[in-house]
Amino acid sequence: MYGILIDVTRCTACEKCVVACTQRAGRDLQRAEKARATTSDGLSAERLSTVLRVGDGRFARKACMHCLQPSCVSACMVGGLTKTTSGAVIYDRDKCIGCRYCMLACPFHIPRYEWEKTVPFVVKCDMCYDRLEAKQPPACVEACPEGALIFGNREELLGKARKMIRNSPGRYLNHVWGEKEFGGTSVMYISDIDLAALGWSAVEAKAIPSLTEPLVHKTPFIGLGVAAGLIGLNWIIKRREELAANRESSDPARKEHHD
Amino acid sequence: MINRTRAVKDVLWITALAGFMAAVFRLWFGLGATTNLSDAVPWGLWKVLNMIGGVALSTSGFSVGFLVYVLRLKQFQPYLKPAILIAFLGYGCSCAALLFDIGLPHRFWHPIFMWNINSFLFEVFWCVMLYFTVTAIELAPVIFEKYRAERITRLLHRLAFVVVVVGISLSSLHHSSLGSLFLVTPQRLYPLWYTPWLPLLFIVSAIGGGLMVVVLAKIIWSYWYEPTSIFNMGAGQSLQLIRVIDGTPAGAFPGKPEGRDMPQIRALATIAAAILGFYFILKITDLFLHGGWGPLLAGTWESWLYIFELAITAIVPGTLLMLRRSRYSPGGISIAASSAALGLALNRLDVGIFGYFADSGRIYFPSLIEWALGFGVVAAAGLVFFFAAENLPIFGPNPPAARMAGLFRLSYGSLRQLWNTALTDGLHRVTLIAVFLVPLSFVLMYPPYFNGRISEPEVRSAIGVDAERTVLLIEGDRGGVSTIFPHVDHQKRLGDSASCVKCHHVSLPHDKSTSCSRCHRRMNVETAIFNHKYHLKAVAELKQFRGIQPENYTCVECHAKQSPKLVSGTKDCMECHKEDMFPAAKPMEVVNLRRALPFREAMHKLCIECHKSESVKRGRPHLGDCQTCHESLRAKPASSPLMAKGIDWLP
Repeated sequence: MYGILIDVTRCTACEKCVVACTQRAGRDLQRAEKARATTSDGLSAERLSTVLRVGDGRFARKACMHCLQPSCVSACMVGGLTKTTSGAVIYDRDKCIGCRYCMLACPFHIPRYEWEKTVPFVVKCDMCYDRLEAKQPPACVEACPEGALIFGNREELLGKARKMIRNSPGRYLNHVWGEKEFGGTSVMYISDIDLAALGWSAVEAKAIPSLTEPLVHKTPFIGLGVAAGLIGLNWIIKRREELAANRESSDPARKEHHD
Repeated sequence: MINRTRAVKDVLWITALAGFMAAVFRLWFGLGATTNLSDAVPWGLWKVLNMIGGVALSTSGFSVGFLVYVLRLKQFQPYLKPAILIAFLGYGCSCAALLFDIGLPHRFWHPIFMWNINSFLFEVFWCVMLYFTVTAIELAPVIFEKYRAERITRLLHRLAFVVVVVGISLSSLHHSSLGSLFLVTPQRLYPLWYTPWLPLLFIVSAIGGGLMVVVLAKIIWSYWYEPTSIFNMGAGQSLQLIRVIDGTPAGAFPGKPEGRDMPQIRALATIAAAILGFYFILKITDLFLHGGWGPLLAGTWESWLYIFELAITAIVPGTLLMLRRSRYSPGGISIAASSAALGLALNRLDVGIFGYFADSGRIYFPSLIEWALGFGVVAAAGLVFFFAAENLPIFGPNPPAARMAGLFRLSYGSLRQLWNTALTDGLHRVTLIAVFLVPLSFVLMYPPYFNGRISEPEVRSAIGVDAERTVLLIEGDRGGVSTIFPHVDHQKRLGDSASCVKCHHVSLPHDKSTSCSRCHRRMNVETAIFNHKYHLKAVAELKQFRGIQPENYTCVECHAKQSPKLVSGTKDCMECHKEDMFPAAKPMEVVNLRRALPFREAMHKLCIECHKSESVKRGRPHLGDCQTCHESLRAKPASSPLMAKGIDWLP
């Protein structure tokens, strides 16, 4: 499974990655530039990745984190999003009905929508899935002149990240964002400042599907249980009515006493 | 009475037609032009209020079916049909609104064949679809009764219990699942409303609120068509406006009997209030268990909203139904029921919309088209409700249609008669309304004129000051002191793409000074950075070597004799390329030939030397001063000792 390691200390915000991404996605560069102003972080249907200022003189690329247990994949009601074996989370336009639940489910607010179109679809980075199939790195990684984006096998990248942190003491905080958060992501960060601005939560943040899937799988049984309970309750009440009616009809003498 | 009904139906028709126009606009122009939804607010009025809220308010069929068929409480039998009708219409209009909310309405059928059993929304879709079918089956006997299809009617009556059990199971599943939809946003939803108990809270509030809706519907129906069944009316008295507390214990005032249906209404409302009381206890427990007390006492607008919501959902109805005076008053019960219904709708709005304001950083307010379609589908459902109640045996064996002006009775023989009857009779009246409403919709809602988007906040690019990055914000050594640099201007002035290298040939950020070989690596391999072959030729020409392969003699011009061709034994790039490292006319003093200037020093040299030499040419004597670029210093130049020294401090 592939991953991308982003070294925030090396990013100069030249945005060559964004240009490469936009061109590879076949989108218009001019529109992508203008679209920067339409949302608070620059991501939109025209811009699949963006570079954000995360601190004084620090910049970081923000795009789909390709989580290991993606919330969007679990949420999509028609199974339009899939986590592939190569690590990329990809979107199937042919299935999407436009319910936008994936947009609500993503903790990083990544999926964006083509609001202006009459036949709109969801837009998000797909880690250049077709290039991954051809064993090539994603366009953004290739374009980065500073070496801020490192591509490789996710486990190896984790090792590399730990080594980079060890070998340059003081240059990085001792934390690899994406190692454990939300169950782990394929896109990871090392940095010398905190990255909450990108949408990262505490390390203990659980993978979101683990909050819903155990319950969803129980629903047929809950439904059957409710039905069984209703039938049982109804039977008890009917039985009590029958018994009460029998008691009255079989003992007319008692009835007279009541008067 | 007739006028009041017609007035209400007029309002319903106006709303429904406005909704129809809104639907046309939404389908023609797309979601972006017609709604205030955005990437930050993907779910809005239609999803949250119409779908989730509407479904919650239509729980009547579920709860009354439970009381009558499972608990066998026969006294509530008359409420079964209205409750099922409400459920059918409620779910119908919720699904209709949802159809317009999804981006691709023509693909609404996808979830039937494309499954994701991990998704709660998938489960909601199936349960709602099945339950809608169930309500149709439950309602079918009423229609067949009217048309006297006896065999089908008998079959349906026998299946009634099974259908009701299936309906209740499906209902409890999807009501809780609607709450579970929001379990996926623990970081985004305001902590007062995010809790693992969301499914439980949703189902309990839906049951209680749904019963209150049945009560309210019955009271409103009676107010119109059968006042004596509910309201206290002595002989000769006319119905007055509802007074809040005019309840009288039965028998306290002889000659002023209670309405005949009041005991059942009271019973239903009391059951509902008890359920909502249980809901209140659940909510308070939830606050304790899941850390909600902190946010509750924080005094934010969300905490006030939460308290208000809980008050109108549980406290107001509970209190009103505990006090004897209001319990025996139709007005009191109406207020309790309305309060509970509003509270239920508000809870869904809080969980689905208001609770996300803090996370999305903006306030979402629906556009006019969203309001029109949202209320339009409800109005359409209301019209169908009136039609069904007047023409089918819903509220009793004999529908009151005979007394009322019908809605769809066509009765004109000539145009003159059409005009004469247009102001009084149903279909003609509707046509008249439509004739005025359609152009009015264009005036008020036509998307190209009224793009109701709330303006998005201004975005600051990472280093560009404006969106197109014509002007950049440069921080020399990333130390927090920056200056504004008109990038595109300089680019044009210095020769466009050929000028890039004049400035972009400095130390890398973070490095005090970058070694040439950091970028200029693997010199023997031809790259865009260093062309070895070219250098062989160029040096051979420069030194005017002769021979068949003059390049062969050039090695020792750069590399040390008889030693491996490594960086350590190579001539410094700068010995030949001094001028290339600096754009200005004056060559700079290079201290270390192997290393580039530090970033800040290089930037200063780049900018200031050029500015100084250009200041004379352009007639701008202060072009080379610090304050020209460092705007923040224009007010107080002496604050920085370095700046005070002026440009002479530069190495």
